This record gives sequence, C-alpha cells and structure tokens, in this order.
Amino acid sequence: MATMQKMPQSSLGAGSSNYGTCKGCEVIVPDQFPAGLRVLVVDDDTTCLRIIEQMLRRCLYNVTTCSQATAALKLLRDKKGCFDVVLSDVHMPDMDGFKLLERVGLEMDLPVIMMSADGRTSAVMRGIRHGACDYLIKPIREEELKNIWQHVVRKKWNESKEHENSGSLEDSDQNKRGSEDIDYSSSVNEVTEGVLKSQKKRRDSREDEVGEIETDDPSSSKKPRVVWSVELHQQFVTAVNQLGIDKAVPKRILELMNVPGLTRENVASHLQKFRLYLKRLSGVAQQPGGIPNSFCGPVDSNLKLGSLGRFDIQALAASGQIPPQTLAVLQAELLGRPAGSLVMPTMDQPALLQASLQGPKCLSVDHGVAFGQPLMKCQPGMSKQFPQSVMPADDINSGFGAWPSNNLGMKGASGSLAGLSTQNSSAVMNILQQQQQPQQQPILSEPGRSINVQPSCLVVPSRSATNFPSGNNPASINQASNYNRSAITDYSLLSPQSSNSSLDVAPMLDRDPKTTGVPSGYSAPNSISSPASSGSANVDNVSNRQVQNSNIPFTASRPLTGLTPNASDIQTSYGPRSGDMLDQGPLRDLGFVGKGTSIPSRFAVVDPELPVANLSSERFYGENSGNRVKLEPNLDFVENDKVSAPVMQQFSPNDLMSVFSE
Amino acid sequence: MRDIRRSGRRDSTRGERKYGLFQVISPSRSAKTGLPLWLLGLGVDRLRTDMSRLLALLFHQGVLDEQFLQLQQLQDESCPNFVSEVINIYFHESEKLLRNLRGLLSDREFSDYKKMGIHLNQFMGSSSSIGAKRVRNVCVAFRAASEQNNRAGCLRALELLEHEYCYLKNKLHEFFQIEQQRVLAAGVRYPIQN
Repeated sequence: MATMQKMPQSSLGAGSSNYGTCKGCEVIVPDQFPAGLRVLVVDDDTTCLRIIEQMLRRCLYNVTTCSQATAALKLLRDKKGCFDVVLSDVHMPDMDGFKLLERVGLEMDLPVIMMSADGRTSAVMRGIRHGACDYLIKPIREEELKNIWQHVVRKKWNESKEHENSGSLEDSDQNKRGSEDIDYSSSVNEVTEGVLKSQKKRRDSREDEVGEIETDDPSSSKKPRVVWSVELHQQFVTAVNQLGIDKAVPKRILELMNVPGLTRENVASHLQKFRLYLKRLSGVAQQPGGIPNSFCGPVDSNLKLGSLGRFDIQALAASGQIPPQTLAVLQAELLGRPAGSLVMPTMDQPALLQASLQGPKCLSVDHGVAFGQPLMKCQPGMSKQFPQSVMPADDINSGFGAWPSNNLGMKGASGSLAGLSTQNSSAVMNILQQQQQPQQQPILSEPGRSINVQPSCLVVPSRSATNFPSGNNPASINQASNYNRSAITDYSLLSPQSSNSSLDVAPMLDRDPKTTGVPSGYSAPNSISSPASSGSANVDNVSNRQVQNSNIPFTASRPLTGLTPNASDIQTSYGPRSGDMLDQGPLRDLGFVGKGTSIPSRFAVVDPELPVANLSSERFYGENSGNRVKLEPNLDFVENDKVSAPVMQQFSPNDLMSVFSE
Repeated sequence: MRDIRRSGRRDSTRGERKYGLFQVISPSRSAKTGLPLWLLGLGVDRLRTDMSRLLALLFHQGVLDEQFLQLQQLQDESCPNFVSEVINIYFHESEKLLRNLRGLLSDREFSDYKKMGIHLNQFMGSSSSIGAKRVRNVCVAFRAASEQNNRAGCLRALELLEHEYCYLKNKLHEFFQIEQQRVLAAGVRYPIQN
C-alpha cells in the first residue's frame, strides 16, 4: 500500500507511491539519479580538494569537503545516513586513508573510493586489498567522478540481495514496518527498506533532494540498516573470542550474542568484514626492523596494568567513542606483529608497561614508523592500554574538544563507556591469555619497548598516569631541546588552562572544514587568536600570524578577480586549509604538553606522520633535523606574507597605478 | 582619423553607446595608429591572442597539459575565478612543500626519505591536478631517487624541481596578468566619436 513516510534520512523528501508492491530484490533507479548524490571528500591537499569539489558540483552531486580524516570521521559519525559515498586520499597526515577506509566500512558501511597521486600497481593493489570500492589516480578527471554513483548502487544492491536470502518471512515484515517510523538500529529488514525508500525518494521528490539536510534528531539512527554500535560490536567480538577466531561461525556467534532482531546474515556479513580486517592488519603489520631490541624491567602486576588501563580508558571514554575497531586493531596488531598470529601473550603487557616506565631513555623512535605509517604499525607489542589509547587517537582527535577537559579534570568519563572499556579489557585479556606466552615474549618485548617510547604515544606513561590530573613531568620537560623548551615549559605551567583553551580551539577547527566545508572554515582562524592567547607565546604568535597571513593571499588574489571580487570564494576555499594548518599549529604544540603532562594531550597530537612525535623524539635526542623540519610548518605561515607579497605586488600596483597614470 | 572611425564602427556593431573613459592596464599603443589599445577594439582580441599564444607555448614545452584545460572548463558563472583561485592555492601549498623538502635535504644527517616521499606525493598530486606536467615529471624522478635513498640524486631533483616550479609560476603569473587585462578591456566603454 502506498504510505507516506517521513524518512529520517537527510536530503530526501517524504513519499513513496508504490512501496507496498515492491519486494526486496527490485530497486527502481529514478531518472534524476545520480544527481544529488551526497559525497564526502577528504583530502589534505587543498588544491585537489578544491578541484574535485568543483568537478563534483558540476556532476550535480551534493558535495561536502574535509581536509582532515579525523574531522571527516567525526562528521560521518555525527551525521550517519547523510552521505552516500566517501572519496578519500590515501596519504593524509593525521590518519592513513586506508584506516579511514576501514573505519568507514566497519562503522558506516559506506562505499569508499580512494584517490592518490601514486598510480603504481603496488599502491593500487594495496587499495584493493583494503577493500576500497575504487582507486582513482590523480589527476582525476570529471568523467571518472561522474561514475562514482555506480559504487553506491552496486553496494546497496548487493546488500539487499544478501538480505533477500534471509527468507520470505521478512518480506511481510518489511511491509508492515515500512509504515512505522521506528528505530532502525537493530533490524536487518530496514536495509532493504532503506534501499527501496531512498531510490523512490530520489525519484519522487527530486526537487526536495538537494539542499534539504536534516540535522535534527541525531539520536535515532537515520540509516535503516544494522548499525554496529560499540556495544553491539563489543558483544560480537566477545562472542568471537569465546568461540575462537577460527571456530566462529555466524550461527553460534548469533546465539552467543543473544541480541533480539539480529539475524544470522547480519552477523555473517559483519564477520566477513571483521575477518578481512584482521587479515589485512596481520599482513600489514609485518614491520621491518629499525626498532631497538633492548627490553627492560620485570613484569608488572596486572593490577598496575589495570589501573593504567582505567586511566587510558577513561581518556578514551571521554573522547566520546571507543570505536570497536580499536579492539580489533589492538588484537590484530598485537597478535599480528610478532609471528603473524592473531594472539599475543599476556606477559607482554606488563613487560611493555615496564618498558614504558623507562620512557625517556627509550626514545629511540623508529623514524620509519613514526612517519608516514599508520599508527597501528607502531603498536604491536604495546600494552593493551597503549594501543587502545593510541590507535583511537585518531578518533579521539575528532572528539577533541570535549576530551581534554575531561581528562585533565578527571571528570566526565562516562560510566557506561568506562564499563565498556573494562569489558573490552577483559575481552582482550581473554584473548591474550589464550596463547602461549613465554616464547613470544622476548620477540614482542623488543618492539614493545621502543614503541612504548614513541613520543607521540607517551613519554612517561606510568608517571603520567599517576599525575593524571595535574601532569607535570619535569623529567620529560628537562629533556626538551632548547628550541622547544619555552613552548614546553609554557605549556606545562599553564597546562590545564592552556591545553583547555588551545584545545577548545581545535573543535572549532575540526568542525569547520566539515559540513559546509568551506565558509565556516574561514571564520575559525579569527576566533583562534583569543582562545589561543592563554597558551604559550610561541603558539600565540604563530596562530596570530597564521590568521593574518592567511588573509594576505586573499587580498592578493582580489586584484586578479578584477571587476568581480570573489574574495569570499577564495577565502572559503582556503578555509579548510588554513583551518587545518591552524588546527595543527596548536595541536603540535600541545604535543609538548603531552610530554609533560597527561595522556590526553598525548592523544591530542597523534599523527602517523607526527610532526610532534618527531619533534619530541628529536627533542630528546637533540637532533636538529627534526626540529627544523617540524617547526617549518609554523614558520611557513610566518613567511606567508613573503610568499604572497610578490603576488600582491605583481598585480595590484601595476593595475591600480596604470589606471591612474597616463 | 580613419582608424578612429573604424573603431567607432566597431563600437556601434557591438552596441556600445556609453560615454566615459576607462583606462586599460598598460598603455600599450598600436604600432600603426599610435593610439592606446583600449581606444581600439583590438584590445580584447589582442589580449586573448596573447593568452592563447602563451598557453600554446606552455603546452608545446610540456609545462602544461590538458588537465589545465579541464581546469579552465570547470570555471563557469557560479565560479568565475576558479582557475586563478586554484592556482593560487597551488602556489601557496607548493611553496610550503618545497620549503619542507629543502629543509629536509639540507640536513646532513637526513635519513627520513619516507617523509620526503609523502611531501613529494602531495606535490605530485596537486601538480598533476592542475596540469603542471613538467613539475610532476620531476617529482616522479625525485620520488625514485628518494626511494633509493639517494641523497645526491634527491638534491639534484630538488633543484630541478625548484627551477621548473619557478618557471611555471612565472608563466602562470604572466597568463593571469593578461587574463586580467582582458577582463578589464572587455569592460571598457568606448567614447563615441562622430
């Protein structure tokens, strides 16, 4: 029967004419499709971002741009069901594109298309192995972008077919449920419903499509499919662990999970993804050497482990989300690293913990690991807390604003999440205890030690744990190089306020590049100067100069536009970028805070490339290259005026003068 | 006189009957008449020719490729300054990248080729996206050298890269200058002579 349904999905109007007559396998593609396809583009390269955005607009797609992967993830999580496809660059500073791909695949189940300038077969192969729907090589042409809708449709069709096989009983359920606006989070039937509805909506209400974005009602799940929430995934993982990864069959997992409304097919598809994910991690996590092998310290008791874990977990909890994948990642990496197996001995954790105690001495940072590698490669061998802490740091960055205050004040850690964390911990412990311990311990301890010392992760974890709220660590600070000392000491002295204030800036920046993508991004720089003022002088000057310098290119380009100044366009296109850089500015300096203070700040600065990591590592070892390199980005902004000035001079004086001369 | 009448006729064919004088940028004079270009209807066409000639030269030299044309096609009424906007972003980003690369390589104990590879990757991506073919090719060679951990090769490649980039930047500046003149010239209101 025809029913008018108010779809929670964004940008789709209501109304479906012949919903009742459509069964699961038929999906009608409306004429106007794929116009209005909602695309999220993530690329740290502003040039490409702008070009692709324009190309997509020309394809009549609904484009949102993002220059940071963490912000993109946050956006995707906040607005579930608001996007149809994600385009992501492979190499990004804050998060590897493939990691983003996996997260999106597991959490939101959207098609992700990778882009890269690297078109070599090996790179493309890597993309395929990670499960990318497609791999585009830069320079990207408009024709290629016109075709991305096929991935959306294909994915939806495959899913609907998959759930079609669940039986005819559910078809009637579909019809009944279609008329109700219910919480879709646990029923598989809505997947098919969603497919049908979205297609029909597109066809029936094309005019309402574009521009109608529903941002209200975030509590109910907008996408009518199984949402693998943290709790659900946790139950899944627990079940899998109980059965053993090899013996985990969907039916038994389903029984163990005991979740009403979940079908075997849901579990099966999720299990498939999970397995692929683990496989990829274990294959990918084979790291070459370069990691110091000395291992120090006796084995700590689990008690200490637990207490530290709680701290970290609270830190995680405060971020607002503990992606279930962190567990998977944690497990897979811990397990995958030493011997390619999926399990790691428990002994490693205390050992690694001890290693971390030696933090300052062991800062033999693996450059190869610190740079250009996803964090997960650094983590195998780390105690469970640390990977847990570090891995989701990318996610934590997204929940950045709320997080530091929580941690610094030791407040706001949601009880449920903390409970969940302990649940996670126990699950991990289960897995870890399943394996043989002694043989693997020495192997694991080696990477663990060095990795624990990664500056980005932690400097003196045990000490930081104990000093959690206040977090002044003179030892680590003293080791700072001259160059950064002032920044560090500034931060450590002001740590609660400065980190709070500077960190408060971050959410603005994080958020800005995202939704509208452009105009709001530009407003961020101006607002930075005030909050950042309480921070160190370094950061202040840099930020302020960033703000001012970012203005200069804009004015420089105005003469170019001549009669029709489109400063707003230019500015906005710069928005994400300057916001991005400014974001990184205070974040980088916050890394100093992290050194001396609490784990939260450490999280704040986690990047795989980790300019801060490099800085801190360099700091400890007194290498100059890192400092020079890392501080350059800050200086970049300072020199902006020099760069753009020639442009300005080139255009405006000539033009203006010639107008009035002769 | 004849020329002015000619230009007057040209004005009437274009339907421009407004009074008022707007000076165009450079007081370039026609060789034959000695009058400033803006007074003649040749201004816009000449500038357009100049632009085409410059582009043709750059294409011939391999400095630009058809991706640049795609960029131009993306410019439309909703985004009238798209090309210059993107190119400016590209300059801004590229100079940052070049500085980073220079900084990395000037350190004698430099060993982080991976980081350099990442910078290079971004440079390659943005250069190829705007159609800067030669710059991109140098990046490819640079990347090869960096993957072999060949510091000397990287230094040479960086110098070449900086050279190519400067050349590209100068040429594109020139291009935009002519473009701007053309825009202004197109808006010129010619005085009607009887």
